[in-house]
Amino acid sequence: MRRPEEEEEEERSSPGWRRIPINDNADLLAEILGRLDGRSLAVAGCVCRLWNALARREAVWEVVCYRHVASAGASAAAGGTRSVVAALGGYRRLYRLCIGPALDRLAGVRRRQGPAAAARHVSLSLALSLFSIDCYERLGGGGGRQQQPPPTSLLFLGKPVDVS
Amino acid sequence: MKREHEDAGRMGGDDPMAMGPEIAKGKMVPVMRTGDEMECGVDELLAALGYKVRASDMADVAQKLAQLEVAMSSDDASHLPQLAADTVHYDPSDLYAWLDSMLSELNAPPCAQLLPPTATASRGNGHSSTAAKPSAAAPPRASALHDFKPVVSAASVGRVVCDTEQQSEKILSPRDPKRMRTCSSSSSSSSAKEVASSLKSATEALPVVVVDTQETGVRLVHALLASAEAVQQENLKAADALLKQISMLAASQSGPMRKVAGYFAEALARRIYRHSPLPQADRVALDLLHSHFYESAPYLKFAHFTANQAILEAFTSFRQVHVIDFGLKQGMQWPALLQALALRPGGPPSFRLTGIGPPQPDNSDALQEVGWKLSMLAESIGIDFHFRGFVASSLADLEPQMLLEPEGKRRDRDGVEEAVAVNSVMELHQLLARPGAMEKVLGTVRALRPRIVTVVEEEANHNGRTFLERFTEALHYYSSMFDSLENGGDSGADGELEEQQRHRAMADAYLGRQICNVVASEGTDRTERHETLGRWRGRMAQAGFEPVHLGSNAFKQASMLLALYAGGDGFRVEEAEGCLTLGWHTRPLIATSAWRVGPAADFAL
Repeated sequence: MRRPEEEEEEERSSPGWRRIPINDNADLLAEILGRLDGRSLAVAGCVCRLWNALARREAVWEVVCYRHVASAGASAAAGGTRSVVAALGGYRRLYRLCIGPALDRLAGVRRRQGPAAAARHVSLSLALSLFSIDCYERLGGGGGRQQQPPPTSLLFLGKPVDVS
Repeated sequence: MKREHEDAGRMGGDDPMAMGPEIAKGKMVPVMRTGDEMECGVDELLAALGYKVRASDMADVAQKLAQLEVAMSSDDASHLPQLAADTVHYDPSDLYAWLDSMLSELNAPPCAQLLPPTATASRGNGHSSTAAKPSAAAPPRASALHDFKPVVSAASVGRVVCDTEQQSEKILSPRDPKRMRTCSSSSSSSSAKEVASSLKSATEALPVVVVDTQETGVRLVHALLASAEAVQQENLKAADALLKQISMLAASQSGPMRKVAGYFAEALARRIYRHSPLPQADRVALDLLHSHFYESAPYLKFAHFTANQAILEAFTSFRQVHVIDFGLKQGMQWPALLQALALRPGGPPSFRLTGIGPPQPDNSDALQEVGWKLSMLAESIGIDFHFRGFVASSLADLEPQMLLEPEGKRRDRDGVEEAVAVNSVMELHQLLARPGAMEKVLGTVRALRPRIVTVVEEEANHNGRTFLERFTEALHYYSSMFDSLENGGDSGADGELEEQQRHRAMADAYLGRQICNVVASEGTDRTERHETLGRWRGRMAQAGFEPVHLGSNAFKQASMLLALYAGGDGFRVEEAEGCLTLGWHTRPLIATSAWRVGPAADFAL
């Protein structure tokens, strides 16, 4: 029964080794999770409450989004972009509704056309345009319309649009 | 005793003799029986043609053929197509069995109702009219034989039919053995056009058994065109008869062709019977159809994205901008522009939108609702947004003073006048219905002194002078359109969502209304007067505008958008002299162009 503790003692004493309980350091964990791709990040959000909270952080998804889009001058006007995206629904939503399905669709295209097909990136401006249209559709009319039809402009991307 | 193979021998020879008259005359040429010498007891000569007839059956076969020939030559309602249809299922190499079954099914002696073959046969054979009947028997017999040879090689088919060479140009086509030839197939030859139309009306009572969908597709198109021609010539009876055939043929088709045929047939029916034009649908319903069309096909998205890109580029460095939208509808174009303006380097401008829409029957203010939604969006992303809605039943009712801001509000804080953009997505063509309206509107646009005018129009010529011209063009255009809707929306691995099917049905209805308008309406009712890009270019140039080239950014964005569509392979974005077109395979279907006021146009307001 003392074996694990003895092992730990030995490990701690060896040079160059440090043990960091990852769950104690949220920012570090967020930094790590930000290097995942979209699907894995969503899966990581199912691990525990802490990880779930981190996986909902906009900053994490912002990193994920920017990694997957080809945007000219990503760093330029990043601050302005942040507020706009936040207003439209956030980076997590942007990924889920626009970038993720678009990447899946392009991957499918690449698969069909073979690896020789030119690699196409989802452009940020295109993704944002689609996102803004979707956001607009969700706005709903003012008083007078009871049942708002679910937004449909993103149906062409092939994934069922989450009406939440 | 009649010998079958002796006739076959003659068939195989170079002498193009009609078999029928020979047998009818009862001539018998005794030939040595060679069947016994054949292996498996199969008749040698017929085997060379692909028939497997046991030598022992030869006599019976010959007898039955003679009976069949007699049966076919009598005057009665023809069951020939039916026979042809039934027997195409039998193994043609088993001639005996086929003949047996044929004769057992014949209760009443059928008659060949083949007018052109008779005509051509008499021409070909030089027979007098009295001999028309036996020669009429020959071609049906030959064609009947020819019908039941789908698996026979082309070479043997060629050899077999050489005895009816004179009649063969119109009826038989050895290259396509897999076809059921009824007499109406002669319509495919151009020289028999008028015969074809009379034929079609004659054969409409016959049950049309479909074997080859491709051929019925061609027949369907021919029937539609013939019906349109009849309508143009005011021959309403013929047109009506053809309509019945069209609906029968259309039932055999599937997918886009069936829908297109259905809509065109309905439109033709409306025109023939002078039904009142489609009632002006509820505004909500029209918007619904439009928004489903927006979603099911990339055309409208393409239009919006390319127009937005042009407007964005024209607005660079302006702090106050004003967009006038000739057809606001649901305002789906503007969220993307608002977002792009919000993110442009240098910050967003102050944005004013003037939306124009038709009057609504139920007095609700749809324009204001759209404006409200857009202003909510603009506020959330930090744009100074103003909206004004204009209700106008026609664009020609607008005056420049109504649209522009009063002089005081038109300048930004630096005194620079606001930049005006005029956007028209599929709205201008409706003005062609009233003379003078187009010139007035273009004059109004010029008076607004816009930095850019974006025009998106369908790339088609549906405004030709004659009805037939318009009909033909519309048939091709909407066929491509429906085809693209059907195949462009395929989601590949995923199954077709039920929702997507519903949206497609609505999109189809949206196009169906257009078809009805093009075909069934006339005069001021016919508002769907699409014209080609070339004509629009000429029109705009004449009105004093000069073209602005849509940049490579627009092209790239459009290409990326198309890449996201599952059937993206079929869609093509092309650039033509600065204008972008989106098409399905080789056919451009929608074109975006941008214009600015030319230097020479300095007219007083």
